[in-house]
Amino acid sequence: MPFVELNVVQESDREILGIDLGTTYSLVALWRDGRPTILRPRGRPDGRIPSAVSFPADGGPLVGWTARDRAATDPGSTLLSVKRFMGRGLEDSRDDLASVPFPVSATPNGVIQFDVRGRRWTPQELSALILAEVWRTASTALGKDAPRRAVITVPAYFDDAQRQATRDAARIAGLDVARIVNEPTAASLAYGLDQRRSGLVAVYDFGGGTFDVSILSIEGGVFRVLATAGDTHLGGDDLDRELVALALEEARPPAELAGDPAFLQGLRLAAERCKLELTLRPRAELRAASPERRFTWKREIAREEFEERIHPLVQRTLDCCTRALADADVTVDRIDEVVLVGGSTRIPAVRAAVERFFRRKPHQELNPDEVVALGAAVQAHVLGGGTRDLLLLDVTPLSLGLETMGGAVSKIIVRNSPVPTQATETFTTYADDQTGIDFHVVQGERELAQDCRTLGRFKLKGIPPMPAGMPRVAVRFALDADGILTVTAREESTGAEASIDVQPMNGLDDDEVERMLRESFEHARADFERSRAANLKVELGTMLRAVEKNLPPTRARLDRESLADLEQAVEGARRAQAGDDVHALQSARDVLEHAGQPLAALLMDEVARSALQGRKLSEV
Amino acid sequence: MVCESCGELVDAGSSPTPFAVFGLEPSFALDPALLRARLLELARRVHPDFFGGETARRRELAEQASAQLNAAHQLLADEVRRADWLVTDLGGPRESEERAMPAEFLQEVLEWNEAIEEARESQPGSAERARLDPLGAGLDEERALRMREIAEKLSPLPARRSPALAETRKVLNAVRYLDRARREIRELRLALPSG
Repeated sequence: MPFVELNVVQESDREILGIDLGTTYSLVALWRDGRPTILRPRGRPDGRIPSAVSFPADGGPLVGWTARDRAATDPGSTLLSVKRFMGRGLEDSRDDLASVPFPVSATPNGVIQFDVRGRRWTPQELSALILAEVWRTASTALGKDAPRRAVITVPAYFDDAQRQATRDAARIAGLDVARIVNEPTAASLAYGLDQRRSGLVAVYDFGGGTFDVSILSIEGGVFRVLATAGDTHLGGDDLDRELVALALEEARPPAELAGDPAFLQGLRLAAERCKLELTLRPRAELRAASPERRFTWKREIAREEFEERIHPLVQRTLDCCTRALADADVTVDRIDEVVLVGGSTRIPAVRAAVERFFRRKPHQELNPDEVVALGAAVQAHVLGGGTRDLLLLDVTPLSLGLETMGGAVSKIIVRNSPVPTQATETFTTYADDQTGIDFHVVQGERELAQDCRTLGRFKLKGIPPMPAGMPRVAVRFALDADGILTVTAREESTGAEASIDVQPMNGLDDDEVERMLRESFEHARADFERSRAANLKVELGTMLRAVEKNLPPTRARLDRESLADLEQAVEGARRAQAGDDVHALQSARDVLEHAGQPLAALLMDEVARSALQGRKLSEV
Repeated sequence: MVCESCGELVDAGSSPTPFAVFGLEPSFALDPALLRARLLELARRVHPDFFGGETARRRELAEQASAQLNAAHQLLADEVRRADWLVTDLGGPRESEERAMPAEFLQEVLEWNEAIEEARESQPGSAERARLDPLGAGLDEERALRMREIAEKLSPLPARRSPALAETRKVLNAVRYLDRARREIRELRLALPSG
């Protein structure tokens, strides 16, 4: 008799979240009822979660809106735009570090660390806090635990180190990364899905911290990226910085104020507000103030003035568009559609510039803040086995190669190669009897290795002594669908082998990620208990108020035993309320609920009794 | 990489030829539309996106098959790389073994290199830059001519180790020079900050 194995897979097991981990805001979406849907907790029509982390002196990190609100009132303990530090070293980040209110240092491998009252946080851990908040938001919206698997988007122009940092952040947050997807590509999915388009599409993605442009060909449900270009340090933050610079030039604050991160952080937020207002109105006010130092400066900014200041930055985005078109080998008149993504595309001058460049009106049917998360949910749906009608074929934004003699770069995988991909190149020795070769893996477009980003170094040993030029060392680069690189080297006559999972400079190794993961779980448990304690206290308070209000007028009618129980329960509840012990709070709540039932019953007269049957004390 | 009868993923080993990946007989002439259609069709069958819930082994095979597919497509879609691969596969000289170019070619190379250098040292909008336009057009024409020459030499494919392969290699060397110059001209005309 054939043995039939029932394999019941619940829908929820295959569900995968789509997360847009943005520089200023993050969003989460899920495929529901045949389409991608932004997950918004009830009563919060704005699904955005600020990518902000705050460390109040009296407690553990706050994330999201509470942190964002504190950025204004307590700039000295709040970190914004953490994404700009991902996979970066101190040297890369000087400008961004100016408004960081904490001391910074770096690990031996160059990972930035923020020293918050003695505890050091890497950008990966801070991003993990944001991702955990994103997951909690998704769970709240769904009313149950959200899936732990996720598609996470990154700027298309992110390099290997930045992609790995993102993947590590997700691991630390306890998420399983189903795929890293490029933001503009995700956006094209969200658009292409509704419209069933085919043709050439340009996605112009000007976000909070980064700029990307991708040229795609859409054909029969296959979204094929032809070329991508961008700048991972060109976004809304940089537009704000133009206004900050203007304020500093004109306000001339005393030197100690101009170097004060808290003052700069406050000014940065004021600049952002001014920028947002200038999108709606022709004029807006810019303020720089420090009440402690009795310093105030303000001035009205005209939209034209702002546009003039940001013009060079907008021009840089258009240069990237020119580059992407050239790499895709298409002329601008062949582009069928232009899609705008990212908050910075709300700026009228940016829209106008894009329209002039591509000579057509860009699409704006979808909210530019949400389109990336929606696209991530589409890709998550594909990865979860939900459809085979769509396929995304993406490319690697930057060339990958090895340093050769004389410091030049031999490119093994050129930029805009489709991923996954692999390539092998053969090298040899330059000295007689050389038994080892050092490899320096780099990423970037420049001719010299020193001008590219170092991804890692490794050594192939065990080459038998031979005359120079005789050994044949095959170096294989394999780039996976997430755009992450593995390199192996093999000497062909002996089979000597060396490989590295490229652990980039400014990256974490596996042990570090493991440790951070453990720490985050410990924190998560503590955080969870803290929040449960807080909720229980609120509930106890409501119940106690109900007793206080209703007991005096009815006390005479309550039997002695019930009265004694209730008074004892009230006292127990008050004691528990003074502490933070979750278990004590829980049992006090349960006891009070039980002891309150006779009172609740008494309060119901004969008429009300039937209507109120089964209701709790706190609801009466 | 995909079994033709059952559609199952098959380990094609570490290095199937690019033509084998696409199920094609080696030849220089190749219809780009056919190549693209085959790419999309094969990608739909082997892309790792469709193996999310499967065993690690099958996911790995899909990743490998996709990487081979993409690498093969990159090579076949580029007529210079395609010709280079055919010459080497038929036992002809590699680029490193035969560096010569057609005799009449050298003088031309020197002349256009000079024009490009002059343009590089001049401002955008200058007469030297303007001269890049006719030069670029001339090089495009010359390249088309050289590619036709290669197509003739490789169609039908010459016998293994035939002297025609060394001749083809020399023309390919010329095309590489042309392409380098055309790329430089393109960059100068784009006039973008390098990067």
